[in-house]
Amino acid sequence: MDKTKVQTKGTLFKETKWWYYLVAILLVVIYLLPIYVLINLSFRTIQDIGSKVRLPEIMNLGNYISVFKSSAVWRGFINTVILMVETVVLEILVSALGAYGLVRSSNRLSEMIRTLNMGIMMIPGVALLVGTYSLMVKFNMANTLWGLALLSAAGGIPATMFMYANFVSSIPVALDEAAMIDGAGVLRTFFQIIMPQLKAVTVTRIIMSATGSWNNYLMPMYLLQDKTKHTIILTIKEAFNTGNGVGDLPKACATCVVGLLPIIVLYLFLQRYIIEGQIDSSVK
Amino acid sequence: MRKRRRRYIYMTIPAIVLLLAFILLPLINAVNISFYRWNGYSQSRHWKGIENYTKLFRDKLFWRSLANTLIYGFGSTLIQNIGGLMAAIFLNKKFKGRNALRTILYMPIMISPFIMGQIMYYFVQYQGGVFNELLSMFHIKSIYWMKSGFSSTIMVTLINSWQYMGLCMIIYLAGLQNIPMMYREAARLDGAGKFAEFKHIVLPLLIPSITTAVVTNLIGGLKLYDVIVALSGGGPNRQSMSLSYYIQLLYFNDEKAGYASAIGIVTFFVIMVITLPINAWLRKREVEY
Repeated sequence: MDKTKVQTKGTLFKETKWWYYLVAILLVVIYLLPIYVLINLSFRTIQDIGSKVRLPEIMNLGNYISVFKSSAVWRGFINTVILMVETVVLEILVSALGAYGLVRSSNRLSEMIRTLNMGIMMIPGVALLVGTYSLMVKFNMANTLWGLALLSAAGGIPATMFMYANFVSSIPVALDEAAMIDGAGVLRTFFQIIMPQLKAVTVTRIIMSATGSWNNYLMPMYLLQDKTKHTIILTIKEAFNTGNGVGDLPKACATCVVGLLPIIVLYLFLQRYIIEGQIDSSVK
Repeated sequence: MRKRRRRYIYMTIPAIVLLLAFILLPLINAVNISFYRWNGYSQSRHWKGIENYTKLFRDKLFWRSLANTLIYGFGSTLIQNIGGLMAAIFLNKKFKGRNALRTILYMPIMISPFIMGQIMYYFVQYQGGVFNELLSMFHIKSIYWMKSGFSSTIMVTLINSWQYMGLCMIIYLAGLQNIPMMYREAARLDGAGKFAEFKHIVLPLLIPSITTAVVTNLIGGLKLYDVIVALSGGGPNRQSMSLSYYIQLLYFNDEKAGYASAIGIVTFFVIMVITLPINAWLRKREVEY
């Protein structure tokens, strides 16, 4: 009798079966192999790329040294950060302001934004490629980071505005009215009373918009053809490009590792917010 | 108060202006261009009416790209949802390190799909590719992974599914954790086996998660572009292109802006016609509890 009691009590880790760990290890291998290969290659020399799986005989740090010395990589980072900040600030401000305005002037509009949001989500970036690209060239927005930032922010507005609208509707109007009685104008109410209430959504949307902007490929590829405007993704692409002569695969891999590092580090530190934000913005 | 109401409406102006300028205007422009023959940069263009739209019925590459797009869309959705659901059920069990595993499975989503494709390109290579190197360790002959359009399409679908499976996983994991334990316990008390419990309790209550996971992935898969550029370049012989890839190729490579734009509009409709009914069908099946 005693024996059964002990078994039911210790359910937490006693129940764990050995095959859980087998599956877990298998999954880890499948999911980390590409990163391993990438890092492995980045430590090799150009003469030594016979095997991509086995560890190199000599650890070569030269690739990383030349990556950190390369002005293209630094320029890529700077351009990406500029693009990211412009996009995020614009998208968040405009969406939050718009959502607040929509909800407070009437409540029925949120269903409309939802439909609009879904509609815009379904437009493949490339479907409007000709329409967007030719317009942007016409209005001198090709090869400008701000033009691309405006475009990216506009693409993110429906989803962000929809999420804000959901949360604004749960803020009691009495709060606005109290601020109004104290003499605050509409904008002041928005920035000092409403925005602080929306911190959770704001964090989520900043992360989503920032990673989206960091990883964007299609539009930067065509709009930022001037090399001084390249984002880090385009710099990595350029490093892998073997079109002109012999490519330097290990150096390209080092560039790739350095280029991916900020976003991976950010992910490891903020993963709780990122994953919860992802759930919040996809469910509902 | 009425004056204040009007001020609220003014606050939506920046958002509306941006949407008009960067979504609606390009859309109108794209529809307009689709009625012309135009090389994409010259001053002159020729009105062709609906010729661009009738032309695509006879265009073999268009049909091929459409078929591939459906494979990318439905294939990715199927694999990611089944894989993601299984991973979520697995991660819902208690074992040490499951949080670390969740972190690892979600990580590829943070990486640009283009860069991921670029890395995976060195996996599927025939000579010196990682897959073939692993096979050779077991003395298995090398496989030509990207030999035909069909095999390239399948490889791209698999790699895309692998990268984004974590998204379905966390959606399902959140869904599973929201199911009140008492329903499952009640089913067990009534003598339901594990499979019956899953089929009659867990699955119906997961439908909202399924809607989200299916619709998001379907839209993503049908729009697939970045991975294809990096992995197969639409090849061999333009046989693994998606519609998105074909549009880009027609515009920048073949200088057929009008035709590219027409296919863009058609692609938009294809995605709408596929996604909206599926969304509506799934939403009808969501149960309240």
